[in-house]
Amino acid sequence: MYNFDLPVVEFTEEQNNFRQEVRAFLQKEKDKGTYETRCDSWLNGFNPEFSRKLGEKGWIGITWPKKYGGAERSAIDRYIVIEELLAAGAPVAGHWIADRQSGPLLLRFGTEEQKNFYLPKIAKGECYFAIGMSEPNSGSDLASVSTRAEKTDGGWILNGSKTWTSGAHHAHYMIVLCRTRPKDPNNRHAGLSQLIVDLSAPGVSIRPIKYLTGAAHFNEVFFENVFVPDENLVGQEGNGWKQNMAELAYERSGPERILSTFPLLEELIQELKKEKDLPRLTESMKLVAELNSLRQMSVGVAQYLEEGKDVAITAALIKDMGTKFEKYVAELTRLLVNRKPSLDSKNRIEKYLAQSILHAPGFTLRGGTTEILRGIVAKGMVAQ
Amino acid sequence: MSDMRDLMVELAEKILKENCTKELIDQAEDGTWQQKLWDLLEEAGIFTIGIPEENGGTGGDYADGFHILRLIGKYAVPLPVSETLIVNWLLHDSGFQTETVPTTLSIKNDEHIHIYEKENGFHVSGTLTDVPWGRYAKKLLTLAKIGNETHLVLLPLENVQIEKMNNLAGEPMDTIKIDQLVAQLQLKVVDEAALIERAQQILALSKAVMISGAMEIILDMTVQYTREREQFGRPIHRQQAVQQYLAILAGETAASLTITNKAIETFQQNNDVYELASAKVKTNEAAGKVAELAHQVHGAIGVTHEHRLHQLTRRLWSWREEVGNENDWAEKLAIKFLNSEDATLWEFLTRTNSKKSSGVKVKD
Repeated sequence: MYNFDLPVVEFTEEQNNFRQEVRAFLQKEKDKGTYETRCDSWLNGFNPEFSRKLGEKGWIGITWPKKYGGAERSAIDRYIVIEELLAAGAPVAGHWIADRQSGPLLLRFGTEEQKNFYLPKIAKGECYFAIGMSEPNSGSDLASVSTRAEKTDGGWILNGSKTWTSGAHHAHYMIVLCRTRPKDPNNRHAGLSQLIVDLSAPGVSIRPIKYLTGAAHFNEVFFENVFVPDENLVGQEGNGWKQNMAELAYERSGPERILSTFPLLEELIQELKKEKDLPRLTESMKLVAELNSLRQMSVGVAQYLEEGKDVAITAALIKDMGTKFEKYVAELTRLLVNRKPSLDSKNRIEKYLAQSILHAPGFTLRGGTTEILRGIVAKGMVAQ
Repeated sequence: MSDMRDLMVELAEKILKENCTKELIDQAEDGTWQQKLWDLLEEAGIFTIGIPEENGGTGGDYADGFHILRLIGKYAVPLPVSETLIVNWLLHDSGFQTETVPTTLSIKNDEHIHIYEKENGFHVSGTLTDVPWGRYAKKLLTLAKIGNETHLVLLPLENVQIEKMNNLAGEPMDTIKIDQLVAQLQLKVVDEAALIERAQQILALSKAVMISGAMEIILDMTVQYTREREQFGRPIHRQQAVQQYLAILAGETAASLTITNKAIETFQQNNDVYELASAKVKTNEAAGKVAELAHQVHGAIGVTHEHRLHQLTRRLWSWREEVGNENDWAEKLAIKFLNSEDATLWEFLTRTNSKKSSGVKVKD
């Protein structure tokens, strides 16, 4: 049977001190007015100055080797940093994807040249990546992607399009999952590759897609005869599916799948604490118990990453539960405080409630829908 | 982790796998005391894990004991194992000798017995409700009032009146009426509030651990069933609706195991109620979901008496109410938060202000 006993992590005193250091920095920046707390800040809080500051601190690419600009710290230290950033609702969207998945992907599958070129820039908080997976006709069925690259002298000619691409309008590069060989009906996962595409290259056009709030944070990206040099192939030609699955495990396992609405929960608790409203505080503490459980799971996964273990199934499981929790925070809050959500409100609960409700539909779609994740978990267990 | 844990867990699992069968559990529920299984567990030293060898115990630590209790939940062991083990821990805390006979306890806010000292010994009277395994227990650990003082006392359960009651799983939950029982007793003055708090914490964690153990095997059985059962010409795990249920079952089980494991480690170190209350809230809540979905996947066969599933799901429905439901433990969390120095929920969650050893210790 599948073993769901995740490691129990006890933070060391050193780690707790580090947490306080990160927290103090965030408080200072907030007091200076560098940022305003917001829900779902890892997708919607874009602030290049702030990303650079984190880079200066050494908190981007924190686990990577020093020779690539990293700090060679543990996965638990990384967990602490990103958890503090999310809890504070800090503007981390710029570098988030590069730090979370593109960098680790390159570290694992990239060439020495790629590592030397991209990783130090990412770690400085100056180089952003976008995810090149979904297409207009390929959502949950990712293996059906039809963006294709044809071999040419010294590189590839890329044609097709990607969609729902968060932050593409700010990003410098995209790792594009594409076909480098025709579809094989007997092996749908064969013939796929990952290419690093410079988003400023000729033939790339980016069109914003307005989210339901009217804000534009995701995009449609078109490739029209875009030349991609040979050295931009990630890993092996034809191994794209497997590499992409590894990338998704990084994408799914982090605390951003739990904490997107944390600023709202914090405000709720603060208000109930001020009112010494024990019955409602008790109701909200059920959420806190759930959050505590999810956090322990997520830290356990960070520990697994530290040990180099495969986290694909556990990550899918935590993302499913975590995103359900993120949504439930808003649903419970509205019943406990009886306020009208509004993005324009000066009242923090009303504003965060509005952000949470309007962003909530995306929580259980992005990075793999709930249904796809559950399929992965179930099939993983049955196959054991 | 103590070195002996793997060995103890392996030994206990072997004993339980071989002996604690569906039929044995049925017999126990029909009213037959399972002495043979009791003896095997006693020989294995299960009832005194966490008590040093020099004090007559098996050695190891509390965390080892809780990991054994997870197996007691997993195998639905129809014996007062957690009760006897916990009584021994409390006895040991207070400097008493440990026990190997079936023992139970009733340490609650609202119930006491009264003791009067006379020439021929102590005279004991009182009524205790919801006493687990009362009818089979040889001894009972409880609180007694003598004048204004509260004493911890281990009572022999002879010549007492037992009103038999059962929880949903058919585990005894008896009312014990004691009327002028005369006995020689060992008594110890205790800080009542502290002792009740400690006992409730240990009991709550033991239930959370047993719940998560039961879930572990329910998940296993359910996945197995979806491999074997065919409908529409293929195993039912191929159906997406069934896959969705399996994943939810796995998530609730993994979350329950993770938070109880965390609570066990924390309890071992500092008795912090925070993890433990989270564990009881989470496992209680998950118990209902897991029982519901496991039955849904198993279909009609799972609701028959013949099938083993109900021996576990009825325990989940019972244990989630025992030693406090979600509201009770969420309220403890709320009170802890209100009384804490933490300015924010985030500080509370990340335990950055928590001091080691904030828990209650029983004084000698």
